[in-house]
Amino acid sequence: MRYVTLGMFGVILAISLAITYWAAKRTRTTSEFYAAGNRLSAAQNGFALAGDWCSAAAFLGFTGLTALYGLDGAFYALGPLVAFCTVLFLIAEPLRNTGKYTLGDVIMYRMQRKPALLAAVIGTIVVNFAYLMPQMAGAGVLIKLLTGISYDASVVLVGISMIVYVAFGGMLATTWVQIVKAVFMLAAAALVLVLVLAFVNFNPLILFDGVEKRYGTNFLLPGNYLKNPFDQISLALGYVLGLAGLPHVMTRFYTVPDAKAARKSVIWVMFLAGSFFIATTIFGVAAAYFIGKDALQVADRGGNLTLPLLAQYLGGGAGTLGGELMLGFVSAVAVATILAVVSGLTLATSGAIAHDCYVNLIKHGQVDERRQVRVARGAAVVIGVLAIVLGIFAQGVNVAVLVILAICIAASANFPVLVLSLTWRRFNTGGVVGGMMFGLISSIALALLGPAVLGNDAVWPLVNPTILSMPLGFLGAVLGTLLAGRDRANESRFDDVLLRAHTGVSPSDA
Amino acid sequence: MTGAIRSPARSQLRALLAAKIRLLVPLIIIYLTSYVGLTVLAGFAKTTMAYKIVGPLNLGLILILFNYALAWILALVYVRVAGRTYDPEVERLRAGIEKSRQCAT
Repeated sequence: MRYVTLGMFGVILAISLAITYWAAKRTRTTSEFYAAGNRLSAAQNGFALAGDWCSAAAFLGFTGLTALYGLDGAFYALGPLVAFCTVLFLIAEPLRNTGKYTLGDVIMYRMQRKPALLAAVIGTIVVNFAYLMPQMAGAGVLIKLLTGISYDASVVLVGISMIVYVAFGGMLATTWVQIVKAVFMLAAAALVLVLVLAFVNFNPLILFDGVEKRYGTNFLLPGNYLKNPFDQISLALGYVLGLAGLPHVMTRFYTVPDAKAARKSVIWVMFLAGSFFIATTIFGVAAAYFIGKDALQVADRGGNLTLPLLAQYLGGGAGTLGGELMLGFVSAVAVATILAVVSGLTLATSGAIAHDCYVNLIKHGQVDERRQVRVARGAAVVIGVLAIVLGIFAQGVNVAVLVILAICIAASANFPVLVLSLTWRRFNTGGVVGGMMFGLISSIALALLGPAVLGNDAVWPLVNPTILSMPLGFLGAVLGTLLAGRDRANESRFDDVLLRAHTGVSPSDA
Repeated sequence: MTGAIRSPARSQLRALLAAKIRLLVPLIIIYLTSYVGLTVLAGFAKTTMAYKIVGPLNLGLILILFNYALAWILALVYVRVAGRTYDPEVERLRAGIEKSRQCAT
């Protein structure tokens, strides 16, 4: 049992519960529950976006990958940053202008037909659960590794925390948990970075030179981890287009007052998260240099303990006070990282179920405020319990498939439908349904037929399906549109949609 | 009445959208080509990636850093142009719609 880590984690947990208590008093209306009353500043949203997007996969995974496999780890870290360009240029502002709380709102604003909303809901729920399950499993493994608490207890602890944050504090609590996590994460990274540089007399080239001498020039070349070049391309496409279809990150844009603030918050997160991703590359190389690949793999085969071990080394090594404090701090931050992400996921899924499904699909929007909020809170609880159950069952399962799958579905189903809704006049409900179907089915099928599930008997040769499933998603959208025939009313309404998407006003606003 | 509100707004909107497309299409082509291009290069031209540029830093690392910088620069360019050119246009559009709405009521 690692008491220092447990203690620090306890502090972070206490802070987040205090945040929730403060937020709960300010969360009464649906606008407050789903969008924090639209009152966040661009900087606040930027930090929250960084906290939401940088999962433990980024914090621990990228560092570990770089330490064990060299350049491929650096590649992995680049994609999540470039992905924000797609968001900034195509999605953030129109989304803020045309939707209210969810991705479904945007699709519904464009199509005004229930099948379209249903398709959007399915896309949101599938992506969110595919993302949530590995996060819960990862939480179980990580907390057990870092603190000694059992896997099941860890999953339950994370699950109950996120239920409390979301059900009581809604988007306001979620946001501030994410902001606090981002601040801690960046502080930890800055501390480790300064120490790394101090150890090499502020000449980082020593690190790169050192690992090359130790592991050969191949270490700093691509291909050590992702052996198939098409797999690399597929992964890159998945990230760069998938973020724009990820509901729990995209709905963060509803928390700011207008499109301009949404735009600025992307700049904030690009610099915050981007600097962080570059740092993970330096950390990985430093860990390989100071500690060595073998020792890292002994500690954890996937390299997930690389960053905590590096921190421990820089603090003075195992057994020293500095070493243990550093290890505890970085480990606690890693655990906090998971809480922030799963809260965001739970809130976004609650939006899909309570707001899209219950209020809009089933009750045609005829539900009073208080009931809407109550249903939203209830949905958060149900989702949380489901997440706990799934997390416990996922122990030992290869959750890497799910992580890839979530981003891939976002890129293959959600992204094509979203972008076409905002840009193509002819696009209609048939296209939404077709795009979702083709995108969902192809990504899931190809993932199940691929090496991650079938190993050497794989029918589909790539771990990442995106390179085929994303074009198929677009194809399904086009085919569905053409097969559904022309909808003149929908097409002439597109002018109003464009006006609203790019200016925030509608001609029929009273 | 709605026709009267929409006509000047419509042409203003079209002009705004044309301006946005003129900026966004090149930006999108640049960042996508650069990023996917780098990935293609990494997959199929490993020996090229090995060229040392600055000390032990090879072309691969340099290109990765370049793509970080490119993403940041393109984003800042867009935000700058949007703030200086598009936002005033949007304000004008909205004011125009407000006025026509007031005249109509």
